[in-house]
Amino acid sequence: MKITLSVLVFFGLVGLMGCQQEEGLAIQEAPLSLSFSHKANNDVLQLGKPIVNPFGEPYTISNFTYYISHFSLVTENNTRVDLPVSYHLIGEKQASSKKIALMAPAGNYKAIRLMIGIDSSRNVSGVQTGALDPANGMFWTWNTGYIFAKLEGKSSVSPAPLQNVTYHIGGFATPDNAIRMVELPLPEVLRLRAGGQPSIALEANIDAWFNGKKPVRIAQEAFSMNPGPLAVKISENYATMFSVIKVNN
Amino acid sequence: MRNKQTIGCFLLIVLLLGVAVSCQKQETAGAAPNDPVPVTFMVPAGWPAPVYNFSNNPLTEQGIELGRKLFYDGRLSKDGNFPCASCHQQVAAFATFDHDLSHGFNNQFTTRNAPALQNLAWQSTFHHDGGINHLDVQPIAPITASNEMAETLPNVFAKLSGDAAYKKMFQEAFGSDRIDTEATMKALSQFMLMMVSSNSKYDQVKRGEATFTLPESLGYEIFKEKKCNSCHVEPFFTDQSFRNTGLSLLPVLEDIGRMRITRNVADSLKFKVPSLRNVMVSFPYMHDGRIRDIFGVLEHYNTGVVKSPTTDPLVRNGIPLSNFEKGQLVAFLNTLTDQVFISNQKLAQP
Repeated sequence: MKITLSVLVFFGLVGLMGCQQEEGLAIQEAPLSLSFSHKANNDVLQLGKPIVNPFGEPYTISNFTYYISHFSLVTENNTRVDLPVSYHLIGEKQASSKKIALMAPAGNYKAIRLMIGIDSSRNVSGVQTGALDPANGMFWTWNTGYIFAKLEGKSSVSPAPLQNVTYHIGGFATPDNAIRMVELPLPEVLRLRAGGQPSIALEANIDAWFNGKKPVRIAQEAFSMNPGPLAVKISENYATMFSVIKVNN
Repeated sequence: MRNKQTIGCFLLIVLLLGVAVSCQKQETAGAAPNDPVPVTFMVPAGWPAPVYNFSNNPLTEQGIELGRKLFYDGRLSKDGNFPCASCHQQVAAFATFDHDLSHGFNNQFTTRNAPALQNLAWQSTFHHDGGINHLDVQPIAPITASNEMAETLPNVFAKLSGDAAYKKMFQEAFGSDRIDTEATMKALSQFMLMMVSSNSKYDQVKRGEATFTLPESLGYEIFKEKKCNSCHVEPFFTDQSFRNTGLSLLPVLEDIGRMRITRNVADSLKFKVPSLRNVMVSFPYMHDGRIRDIFGVLEHYNTGVVKSPTTDPLVRNGIPLSNFEKGQLVAFLNTLTDQVFISNQKLAQP
């Protein structure tokens, strides 16, 4: 009987612990908010304002929109902590889209990683919802796949009809894969604690679209509207556009 | 002692069951009385497993019925005149009856012939160039194309949301009266997945329920002997590959086919091998409908193949066909017409 009782107590405890784990009390999660600001021509981005790109080509921007996803944090001893996968559509026109609330394990971190674009699996698995809803207009209907980033405007040097500048960047399959992972060092250590309200301010510099790695001149390449070498080149350029300008612990 | 042990075991079981139940409660809710009625997708005997992932979009009577209403509803187009069914007519196995190029909003032509819609659950790519990789996102292309239905998704949802009957149907099918991309596309998929053509005379012969006439069986032998079945593989009569069958590039259309998607010159002028099921009711033929009649198609393979760097080796030197052989082949192709499918009231306009 004693054996039976202890077995009973043991199994009962195991059962209760099983329940507790499902409620996720084991890991300490802390909130982290990200804010995004956009810059072009060394100034805060203003849609419709005449500016020049790094090659001195005059242009105006009417739309700047991009997907980011797959956040990770890098600890002080170089361990990568992947956050639950989430997808975010950030647009200059939607002020509310420029703030993102995440939850991450408490700890000290020295860098943040993110994906510019959408992983290939979400490009091939049918209709998606939320930020990935095709109705958001960041989706190629005739050649299935997400448009990862859009920069649209006009330029007097554009050879395109109506002097348009249209960079729709996407492509998830080899050799036109435009998915970019970037790691951004933090200017100071991020200390995530339960009950804290830390935030990271990121800045996207649109100039990088033209000269981040290889030159893209409006006079020569004013539009990219499908996956391909130009989209890959621009994605490699804009992979350098982000920097973390401030950490608020 | 034995009794006490029994009581102890009993208590143990009760406690464990209690724990199990308390855990379960957090995950599963009981079936509500208004749950949609599940529908099992029937795979015809001898056919492979479907490629469509039904677990992401379980078929229900309510979902299929909603999809049918959407498929036949002009409100999915800008001016109300172009439901899906305007180009995909049941009488033509959901191709466009007697039209070469499909046409849409504001008297505009597209550059291609509307393909028949059938056995879509086994199809991994869509459109003549295979540019669409999932059935659930296919309808977005014709709905938003300026020369087809010419509408935006938000406009479609706004129009449908103003209709109480639709809100009720979405509620019944998906448990929410929110009309959005996911629910709309999944309902359309559910309806289109029901377009299974597996009851032609050919199928009945394969099942031992009918026998070919002499011309039909001669035609079937010629079909295999001439290696038509290298590309038109049974039971779907397509291998879903992309091939250049020696059709010249029409300057007015400049349709490079698969290369538009892959940008690979090796894919120039390649188009998806169409199924031959219901081929006799889905004329005109080829991706742009340039050949009106089935004998014209056979004559193309006999003498009309244009050689270019990507012309398929299987047809590069033509497929010699005598008039007798053509006649028997057509007799066989006639057995691929599925009257049950093209007259199925469950697939007709509600």
